[in-house]
Amino acid sequence: MSKSFLIDTTLCTACRGCQVACKQWHDLPAEKTINRGTFENPADLSFDTYKLVRMREEVINGKLNWLFFPEQCRHCIEAPCLETAGDPGAIYRDDKTGAIIFTANTKRLNAAEIIESCPYNIPRKGPDGTLAKCDMCIDRVENGLLPACVQTCPTGAMNFGDRDEMLALAKKRLAVAKKKFPKAMLIDPDDVNVIYLVAYEPELYCANAMASNAVFDITRQVALGRMIRPLTNIASRLL
Amino acid sequence: MNVTRRKFIQITGASAAGLAVSGLGFDLTPIKSHAQMLKTKYAKETTTICCYCAVGCGAIVHTSKKGDGRVINIEGDPDHVINRGSLCSKGAALSQLTENENRLLEPMYRAPYSKKWEKVSWDWALTEIAKRVKKTRDASFEHKNAKRQVVNRTTDIVSIGSSALDNEECWIYQAMVRALGLVYVEHQARI
Amino acid sequence: MTNHWIDIGNSDCILIMGSNAASNHPISFKYVQIAQAKGAKLINVDPRFTRTSSKADIYTSLRSGTDIAFLGGMIKYIMDNKLYNKEYVSSYTNGGFIVGKAFSFKNGLFSGYKTNDIGPLRGKYDKKKWAFEMDTNGVPKIDRSLKNSRCVVNLLKKHFSRYNTKLVSKITGTPEADLLKVYKTYAATGARGKSGTSMYAMGWTQHTVGVQNIRSMAIIQLLLGNMGVAGGGINALRGESNVQGSTDQCLLWHIWPGYLKTPRASNVSLAAYNKKWTPKSNDPLSANWWQNYPKYSVSLLKSYFGENATKANDFGYDWMPKVDDGVDYSWLTLFDNMYKGTVKGLFAWGMNPACSGANSNKTRKAMGNLDWMVSANIFDSETSSFWKGPGMNPSTIKTEVFSLPACVSVEKEGSITNSGRWMQWRYQGPKPLGNSLSDGDIIMELGLKLKEVYKEGGAFPEPILNLKWDYMTDGLYDPHKVAKEINGYFTRDVKVKGKLCKKGTLVPSFSWLQADGSTSSANWLYCQSYTEKGNMSARRSKVDAPNNIGLYPEFAWCWPVNRRIIYNRASVDLKGQPWDKKDWVVRFAGNVKNGKYVSKKWIGDVPDGGWYPLENPDGTKRKDAKHPFIMRKHGHAQIFGPGRADGPFPEHYEPLECPVEKNYMNKQRMSPVAPVYGTDADAHATCDPRFPIVGTTYRVSEHWQTGLMTRPQPWLLELQPQVFVEMSEELGKLKGIKNGERVKVASARGSLECTAIVTKRFKPFKIAGKTVHEVGVPWHFGWRWPVSGTEESANLLTPPTGDPNTRIPESKAFMVNVTKK
Repeated sequence: MSKSFLIDTTLCTACRGCQVACKQWHDLPAEKTINRGTFENPADLSFDTYKLVRMREEVINGKLNWLFFPEQCRHCIEAPCLETAGDPGAIYRDDKTGAIIFTANTKRLNAAEIIESCPYNIPRKGPDGTLAKCDMCIDRVENGLLPACVQTCPTGAMNFGDRDEMLALAKKRLAVAKKKFPKAMLIDPDDVNVIYLVAYEPELYCANAMASNAVFDITRQVALGRMIRPLTNIASRLL
Repeated sequence: MNVTRRKFIQITGASAAGLAVSGLGFDLTPIKSHAQMLKTKYAKETTTICCYCAVGCGAIVHTSKKGDGRVINIEGDPDHVINRGSLCSKGAALSQLTENENRLLEPMYRAPYSKKWEKVSWDWALTEIAKRVKKTRDASFEHKNAKRQVVNRTTDIVSIGSSALDNEECWIYQAMVRALGLVYVEHQARI
Repeated sequence: MTNHWIDIGNSDCILIMGSNAASNHPISFKYVQIAQAKGAKLINVDPRFTRTSSKADIYTSLRSGTDIAFLGGMIKYIMDNKLYNKEYVSSYTNGGFIVGKAFSFKNGLFSGYKTNDIGPLRGKYDKKKWAFEMDTNGVPKIDRSLKNSRCVVNLLKKHFSRYNTKLVSKITGTPEADLLKVYKTYAATGARGKSGTSMYAMGWTQHTVGVQNIRSMAIIQLLLGNMGVAGGGINALRGESNVQGSTDQCLLWHIWPGYLKTPRASNVSLAAYNKKWTPKSNDPLSANWWQNYPKYSVSLLKSYFGENATKANDFGYDWMPKVDDGVDYSWLTLFDNMYKGTVKGLFAWGMNPACSGANSNKTRKAMGNLDWMVSANIFDSETSSFWKGPGMNPSTIKTEVFSLPACVSVEKEGSITNSGRWMQWRYQGPKPLGNSLSDGDIIMELGLKLKEVYKEGGAFPEPILNLKWDYMTDGLYDPHKVAKEINGYFTRDVKVKGKLCKKGTLVPSFSWLQADGSTSSANWLYCQSYTEKGNMSARRSKVDAPNNIGLYPEFAWCWPVNRRIIYNRASVDLKGQPWDKKDWVVRFAGNVKNGKYVSKKWIGDVPDGGWYPLENPDGTKRKDAKHPFIMRKHGHAQIFGPGRADGPFPEHYEPLECPVEKNYMNKQRMSPVAPVYGTDADAHATCDPRFPIVGTTYRVSEHWQTGLMTRPQPWLLELQPQVFVEMSEELGKLKGIKNGERVKVASARGSLECTAIVTKRFKPFKIAGKTVHEVGVPWHFGWRWPVSGTEESANLLTPPTGDPNTRIPESKAFMVNVTKK
């Protein structure tokens, strides 16, 4: 059974504990930033920033919303980066957790290709060509701890556990959220191990909240589904 | 129809996934074991309470037992009944407050009209401070006020601070400044 | 906080006003959202849409400085619609007390007003005019039916009858429909078994009407029966990890540890001092807890001077400094004096006044008048390096500066007290870095040096030489020794409560303290925190109390006597049974015989005194009961507060600097008793076209206070790298300011450069038919860090005035202008 995250954005207050806890655990340096007219910073994910809380001000039905979206790698069930790399020494799946792990050998990959392959635009290239992104705090997880970002989250926005447990929680949380937000939905729950619950259309939260859309009139999920559906747990039927 | 390179790779990548699961793919066994050792495994573990706001969140401090004896990691304490392991951005950065190259690590002195700091010893600094206190206090000490009431105080020395101190430190601090006769004793709670 | 963090999760309605809890107390939102998940409503009122607003069920805005108008409207709504808990108001508050005929309110002034010719205070009240009528026994006359036209609730109703929604909206800029929505939702917590809580912070205190902002909410809480109950209370979200503890230890001019009074010059002896400050009640049903005052003051003196404090020398009372009667010694006055050159030496311990004091330019200039300054801190600060700050010429500044490196909290051991009054012990992880030392070590060493220099004589050396200073073990500061002294010892073998207490043993709790010198206690409120059973603050049990409301009585320790919710005997009806059957705090569980209680037993939290309930199950009154608000002389909570400097009821006054020429509520524009300082550095401007925009200050999640403990940290600077000014899109358009561009924000006192955040989260207000803009600047920055030197403190803008009771500066409402750079 793989592990999954449920990120319930309806509970996120953008305290950004997760963003710092990630840097703290991974000993990642800070980036030099400027205030760009928003609280959101740094401007993007990077080789040194695996997690970034996106913040958007949106007027929806005449009411102002401040939407928060802690962006990170989705640890896809069938990960395009991994398949594109075709190099298990550089990108592999950890069987126990389902984590998609980038190693130092990503240096030997075609970085642009790997980045392009990600439907969520997550991996980032370092100065020496190595690629980096969220590693699910696999060292913590394998030692029975929660990922740093989940442990530090005060509100229950970040959740982590066995996939079926997270799917069950997602179902429960979605039902609660729908009472307040009729358009609430889970993003790509069948395809990823990092499932987001959003109150409104995913594109309002961040450019790559949902897997990139419509190619040749079919969505990527449909394309994926046609090929691998019989082998996956069809989460969406449960939800 | 425009097919960007990005989308093309997404589709071809997905196709490879189909191949992989159908058994025609390559060997997925990782070449590197990722069952890593936790960086905190051999560290001393102590509990603390976050030094920022007054929620009073518990945190665990991991200090290296060997080498420099410095902090390796600070994270929320899951056994603390208030925060249950969580910390905000400031709390999550506690280790960087401790292990910080900008910290003041030596007593420093700035002489009158000087443009620079000088590094001094603790003993020199505290001795000189005690002399300054005595000089100012003795010159300004008021036994009685204008109404001839006993007041035993000085208004020429003032103290501000501090909620950055522990309770015990606060207590001895206020005892010291009150014994000196200070009446201008204020701190963060006033602002 | 009357309650505590976990208890917020028990609430049915949470009003966050005057704070931005999601941002500045992020972990509190764990409990806000737990309450919301159980169906509680979250109301947020703030000039600006914040992270807190993003999670609110109801959000509405108000112009900074108009909270009393907003809350006064709610009081009117509750009174007009009879939504108050009559039993609670009549039995537990002074709502039925008859106010004397000398009390009146006309043209914005309460009776007894006199203008002030000298000093910063604009005027003063003779509070005797607000006294209650007393019966022949000296007990207040009470009409528990609440019918008398001069009883407090009827005067309250009359006072707030002016606060109709139309007028309130005209002042606050809040739409009338929003006012009604908030009033209706919050007032619903007056129903029996429902609770509402208030989470506030400096958004309420930093005003010339700060105390009355909180009084307004306290009145609402009392009317609705929300004090003492689970999920209720008045909850100040304190800003620093130990600002509660440092206040309890009384690092403030007017109080001694445990909230005892600093002696006045007129208190010529210990007897005179105790007599003056020990209240007397003639009501047998009033516990009047402060009647124990002499036990606490004498025990404190025993801690100050140990064996040297004897009955013969008044326990060293004469050695302690006295303040002049009627004179203020607070922060603003302190720096005013320093600016005028009468202060020679400054200790700035873990403080950064160059950025934290209102009107920072004045503060910074004032420090140049000192002979010497001692600064103890973790980082070099804008204060210790003030002599090389912006606009300073070191070669003209004589001030000697001693900058002492303090270690960080994880490098030392000791306790701190959180906002919920929980005292929690911390342990040492690594040793202090470099040559830094714990504050405790620095203070102990300095104390020894001072004792040394005074051995050879000097002015009045007695208090210094006689000060008990034995808190070291093997030459190092020992926090356990101080913690035990704070708890207190029996100083000789003595029989208390029929039990022999041995000399040198720790006092079990403050009910054992004595006024004859047989006990010491450096802070009576903390008596019970470190006993013969051990260090109570270090406890870690995760077992909840039987009422299962998150009290965790054996996790840490809280004052007083581990009572987690204070005033908790107001959570029960007159028969001792909880208003709220589900989330109850305490309940009386004594045996009943023939309709009468015959044995005493309370369960749940530690009750506010273990007396019998006021009534038996059969409704008969008991004579051995006590009213629940035991710290008040008359045992009742005060809807009418005759002790305040600015009136027994709250009243709306405009800030010193405001955008309106008159107060639409009454004839006084600003508080008639607020202090306004008057040096050349204290300029202020109201309705001045140079400063047409309301300004306010606040915090962000990623920095803390002046930023001295967050700005040197790259991770936090990455998140919030620069000082900014938030403004509405409308104002941005008006001024031609684009999002992200650098602009200048100026007040009559100073200016700074900020990055503009042009946002939908600020909206212009309609005030009396005119458009009023407001902007806000966080006060976390200063020139020393980041090293670019370009980011400055918002306190360069803030005004030279404050609350007449507390003298907390009015940093939350003033006037500015914003211009393109």
